[in-house]
Amino acid sequence: MPLLRMRGITKRFPGVRALDGVDLEVEAGEVHCLLGQNGAGKSTLIKVLSGVHQPDEGEVRFGGEPVRLAGPTAAMRLGIATIYQELDLVDGLSVAENVFLGHERASYGFVRRREAARAAGELLARLGHPEIPPNRLVERLSPAGKQVVSMARALSHDARLIIMDEPSAALAHDEVANLFRLVRELTSAGVAVIYISHRLEEIREIGDRVTVLKDGRTVAVGLPAATTPTPEIVRLMTGRSVEYVFPPRRPRPAVPEAGGRDPEADGLGTEILRVEGLTVPGEFADVSFSVRAGEIVGLAGLVGSGRTEILETVYGLRRPSAGRVLLDGRPVRPGSAARAVRLGMGLAPEERKSQALLLEDSLADNITLAGLPRYSRLGWLDRRRALADAAEQIAALDVRPADARRPVKTLSGGNQQKAVLARWLINGRRLLLLDEPTRGVDVGARAELYALIRRLADAGLGVLLVSSEVPEVLGLADRVLVVREGRVIHQADARDLDEHRVLDMIMEGSLS
Amino acid sequence: MTTAEAARRDERVARVSPVRRVLVRPELGSVVGAIVVFAFFAAQSPVFWSVSGVSNWLDPASTLGIMAVAIALLMIGGEFDLSAGVLTGSTGLILVTLATRYGLDVWSAMAAGLVFALAVGFLNGLLVVRTRLPSFIVTLGTFLMLQGLNLGVTKLLTGTVQVGGLRQAPGYEGARQVFAASVPLAGGDFRVAIVWWLAVTALATWVLMRTRAGNWIFAVGGNEQAARAVGVPAARVKVGLFMTTAAAAWLVGTITALRFSSVQANAGIGQEFTFIIAAVIGGCLLTGGYGSAIGASIGALIFGMADKGIVFAGWDADWFTFFLGAMLLLATLTNSLVRRYAEEVRR
Ligand SMILES: Nc1ncnc2c1ncn2[C@@H]1O[C@H](COP(=O)(O)OP(=O)(O)OP(=O)(O)O)[C@@H](O)[C@H]1O
Ligand SMILES: [Mg+2]
Repeated sequence: MPLLRMRGITKRFPGVRALDGVDLEVEAGEVHCLLGQNGAGKSTLIKVLSGVHQPDEGEVRFGGEPVRLAGPTAAMRLGIATIYQELDLVDGLSVAENVFLGHERASYGFVRRREAARAAGELLARLGHPEIPPNRLVERLSPAGKQVVSMARALSHDARLIIMDEPSAALAHDEVANLFRLVRELTSAGVAVIYISHRLEEIREIGDRVTVLKDGRTVAVGLPAATTPTPEIVRLMTGRSVEYVFPPRRPRPAVPEAGGRDPEADGLGTEILRVEGLTVPGEFADVSFSVRAGEIVGLAGLVGSGRTEILETVYGLRRPSAGRVLLDGRPVRPGSAARAVRLGMGLAPEERKSQALLLEDSLADNITLAGLPRYSRLGWLDRRRALADAAEQIAALDVRPADARRPVKTLSGGNQQKAVLARWLINGRRLLLLDEPTRGVDVGARAELYALIRRLADAGLGVLLVSSEVPEVLGLADRVLVVREGRVIHQADARDLDEHRVLDMIMEGSLS
Repeated sequence: MTTAEAARRDERVARVSPVRRVLVRPELGSVVGAIVVFAFFAAQSPVFWSVSGVSNWLDPASTLGIMAVAIALLMIGGEFDLSAGVLTGSTGLILVTLATRYGLDVWSAMAAGLVFALAVGFLNGLLVVRTRLPSFIVTLGTFLMLQGLNLGVTKLLTGTVQVGGLRQAPGYEGARQVFAASVPLAGGDFRVAIVWWLAVTALATWVLMRTRAGNWIFAVGGNEQAARAVGVPAARVKVGLFMTTAAAAWLVGTITALRFSSVQANAGIGQEFTFIIAAVIGGCLLTGGYGSAIGASIGALIFGMADKGIVFAGWDADWFTFFLGAMLLLATLTNSLVRRYAEEVRR
């Protein structure tokens, strides 16, 4: 008898049928992977399971009994704990308070703070992060730190079923290994795990069985995770076969990099971005590089190695203590992102929800935001033109549902990411700064994004790319800078590097 | 940063110096403001810092403080209440009317006022939670309704715009001892309301810092969706906060009615923003999820000092609002500057 059996789950939102008769069966002690494209309904399904949404139809059995998941508390009481996709913590509370929020360790309503802090500390240690102090305010943690707190919260419930909605999206390479160790520990104790991820390699490594959703329907149930071929899974998810490959680069320059070469001999254009000796104390030091027209430069490194900070400084969001940034030979004034935008830069930040999107506003408004000057005539906004441009980008990036007037907050995670990218695509940019552009983006759309980024480069843009997925940096970028602890320790043509070498460098700094 | 381990540590957490821990307290701005105001008026007039002077300005600070603390809790929970000021008038009117015209003893009339206040608070909360309308609008509605009710009913019953004569009602003296007595002490004349104020502040601080309910208040104000997803009864917390504010309004209404023995039909009107200003001076954010009860109390203290200080200094009372505006800017600026500084030195 399976631990969990969901049958015929249907959930409608105004204008969309997010779930349309979904079935799911999960056994105790297994890692059950839930796959599907952006907007397929994965998060909605688990929200039904965790009591956040009430299904319109369908039946849920847990431990053989039919159950009604009237609210989050009801689900937790049954032993269902959830790590949500969007980091959902309360910034103004401490780590320990967040971990036990809603099920505080209390006697007669009084929180036993010391005990809660100790218990939270133990959970964090079990997660491999004893260095996070339980009394620190959550707003002072990085995204990865917050992810760890979300996990600690799920662990704090002594759950029989733990749901993880893209837990690895905010994690660096070594932390994913840590997560997997924990998942194995849980399953060997008989806990079931529902695991959602867009990284198929992870599914292979950690999953037992796979259920695939497509457009709110179950298209495959209980496939063996280890043996089902990847093209088969991708075909089930997307309904077509997607080439999971990187777009071709320009041919290698005839003359290998050497002194005194002609700057345009290798087919690349002029230098767009030049960074000289850039330093932000405590973040990174003495960073120099350049990006040329048509070139994709990748920054490889661990989360926290300073890559995001480098991007932000180039964009003018942080003030460097030394060094300068030149765009097309003109200095970028530190502390003014507006000027950076005027000069032709665009940044797609890592944390879309808090840093990039106006969640209440429509998809079209979000996409056309940075291009507003283009649509204003004597102070009036040409809405029709803005809407048309937005619709074009929505089609180009295959955002679903393709409805420009829909509020961004009702889009699935991966589609929100596409909206951030679309914003910079509509108005001619000189340089795109992409921070983890494929986080939460499904395989199909990922291939499209890669192709798109390459097309943009071929059209003469410079691209500076940060990604924690080393294969992505190596596959997409022309040139790779390896960043470790705030220093660029190695620069090379991407074709001269392989994954293991880069991983070695970013972890140990063996080439430094 | 020498090892990968250290880098990782720096990434997620930072060392906190005790200085910074003090600097990021929400009360900081109000403390600075209070010191500035005190020093300023103390320099103007020695009476200001004499015992009798102190007892003098603690008086307006106390009733305002009770309200400011309650409003601070509500604002931390992410809501506003514009009806709180006029409700102090309503409860006072109910008390005096029932005790003088309907033969109730003072204690029963007070109980009736409390029931009425809690009902208004419950209604406010329920409307906000159910309709998801902004509480600013909902309580603006109740504010206007209560204002009309206070005037209309008072005129209907008395033909005038005030009710009085509470002093003759049975049970008055006992109630006055508890709520409105004044205690001569070392040359000053201290109102018992000060004790209530301190008690309310202590209680609220304790609830915020030490209880489950306090966690929930921060959580629903900071990220309601997240709070709900982990099982925090957000609706109950909010309704409870509106009822707490209403209860505070009742306490203040009762204190003033017992003290003056009469109540004007327009009592409390115009106070609603004063409470919010005191809470904001005390570090509450308009967006919720952040703030402090002690800060709100100090905000009220600043009000009290400026209110009486201007009189001691022999100025025209019209300067009062100028002072408040300056204090509001000073305190909130201090808060945000220091917070930004603390953020920057964080790594
Ligand atoms: N609150 C909501 N209101 C309206 N529509 C919603 C809401 N939540 C989700 N949807 C819609 O339901 C569909 C399924 O979304 P869901 O978030 O479950 O996708 P997902 O499979 O988790 O995608 P992703 O991989 O991008 O996270 C989408 O079309 C989405 O726009
Ligand atoms: Mg999702």
